Amino acid sequence: MNAILEHGRDILPAAAANHDGEVLLSIRNLNKSFGGLKVTNDVSLDLRAGIVTTLVGPNGAGKTTLFNQITGHLVPDSGQIMWRGASVVGKKHFQISRMGIARTFQDLRLFNHMTVEENVLTVMEPTSWIWQPGGRAAREERHEKVQSILQRTGLAAKARTRAIDLAYAERKFLSMARIMATDARIWLLDEPASGLDRSSYELFLDLLRTEVKKGLTVCIIEHNLDIVVGISDRIAFLDQGKLLADGLPDVVLKDPHLAAIYFGDQNT
Amino acid sequence: MLAYILNLATLICINAVLAITLNFIMGYAGIFSIAHAIFFGVGAYTAAYVALHASASIFLVIPVAMLVAGALSLVLALPALRVRGEYFVAASLGLQVLGVTVFSEWKSVTGGLGGMIGIPPADIFGFAVTDPVQFLLLAICCLIPVLLITSVLLRSSFGRNLKAIRDSESAAHAFGKNVAIIKTMSVVISAMLAAVAGALYAFYMGFINVESFMLDTSVLLMAMVIIGGTGTLLGPIVGTVLLMLLPGIFSYMTFLPQTEIGSIQQIAYGLAMVLLMIYRPGGIVGSGKPRITKEKAA
Repeated sequence: MNAILEHGRDILPAAAANHDGEVLLSIRNLNKSFGGLKVTNDVSLDLRAGIVTTLVGPNGAGKTTLFNQITGHLVPDSGQIMWRGASVVGKKHFQISRMGIARTFQDLRLFNHMTVEENVLTVMEPTSWIWQPGGRAAREERHEKVQSILQRTGLAAKARTRAIDLAYAERKFLSMARIMATDARIWLLDEPASGLDRSSYELFLDLLRTEVKKGLTVCIIEHNLDIVVGISDRIAFLDQGKLLADGLPDVVLKDPHLAAIYFGDQNT
Repeated sequence: MLAYILNLATLICINAVLAITLNFIMGYAGIFSIAHAIFFGVGAYTAAYVALHASASIFLVIPVAMLVAGALSLVLALPALRVRGEYFVAASLGLQVLGVTVFSEWKSVTGGLGGMIGIPPADIFGFAVTDPVQFLLLAICCLIPVLLITSVLLRSSFGRNLKAIRDSESAAHAFGKNVAIIKTMSVVISAMLAAVAGALYAFYMGFINVESFMLDTSVLLMAMVIIGGTGTLLGPIVGTVLLMLLPGIFSYMTFLPQTEIGSIQQIAYGLAMVLLMIYRPGGIVGSGKPRITKEKAA
């Protein structure tokens, strides 16, 4: 176990090499500090096409901060984030989103006073100008896609309900419905299943598996180990901004030292 | 009596245009501007200047007023892109003060504190609109397109973009919305349509000065929107009618001391606002539920 801590991510290259798809997003030596607190400490990580990577780590490990840097909500102090070979550092959030990187938020950030239907539809409208390209045909296509997404997420009956009036689980699924409406190649999901009951997260896992089968690349921050085991191809373990391990779920989750860090027992 | 009613109806139409355009940015884009009277003023001064020095044709005056107000609105758009919430309110207050200073000091164009007098009546294909009934029809003919334009825009993808930004700017960013462009366009559209009201006002009054474009006008417009229902299509019109009718209603209440009508009116406005915010925060037309703003209620 000490070897893991000493060598960090390099300890599990054989496991990671099992997935040799195209590297869509490559993070290299990323650093970010808030004052004296280092929240991302020399992190390097690859997200490969069609792979589900789960970021695991105790609270304050820097998982969401990593997402915020990938999506342009925060600018890293140093290091590189490359999307299919091109740097995204310094680009605006909306430009990064349009490149094909979509995210959800831990606190959902739904468009609360818009209906469920509008929440999904607005994500699908590509331009910021007054009219969308493609005319009536494109508009009808968008409406059909919205209905299809709402059916799959179990929100069809609530299409005309305002987001703020939904129950908690429905709000979670609306957050998923919004990201499903994007044409993104990578989804960054920030605790998408937290607070869901068993039947809801089974539905969530089904949804995610269906999308992954289509070739989607997913990176999830999740604390629910059932979900982590149920969906992950790879797990990256972060603690205090540092990537401690990156490999197959079996290997990472069974590591007693990482478990000790995760569950707060430093004496193991 | 008829003249009084026509005058009131015309002023209601003009103020309704202003309330609708303020609601466009306040209710849908979440830009709480207290500088709306400035765009009203820019429209009025531009219209007066063009009418006095070039032509009083509404087909020239109104487009020019709209263009000038639209261009100057970029001054408001700039802080709107950088600051939010109470910080933007403070920035727009600064713009309001700045605008009033320019109106009262740029004597060669605005006439200074004395204002601009002798503005000719509106001209439509060589026909001067001098009759109050005709002017009311003209005001209605301006109000309807403004209402239609804002209504169509708000039902379009642009309206959804505005509402998305209002509800969660960071989520809008994350889903590829160019927030800077959308906010700028909303401010420009709002200012251009407010200038239509300014042009109508200049023609209607035949005289304008800075008194009509002060902070209290901006605050009154905001009250019209809030009382009627922020973020609703009909709310600003209902709010305008109510606030414009109140002074008249009070003056017919003979048991009230007529010399104190102004103060009573202010007390009534204040009370109405407080009670409305407690019992019906969405306004008269809006939802009775309180609006939880921005990125709350996750």
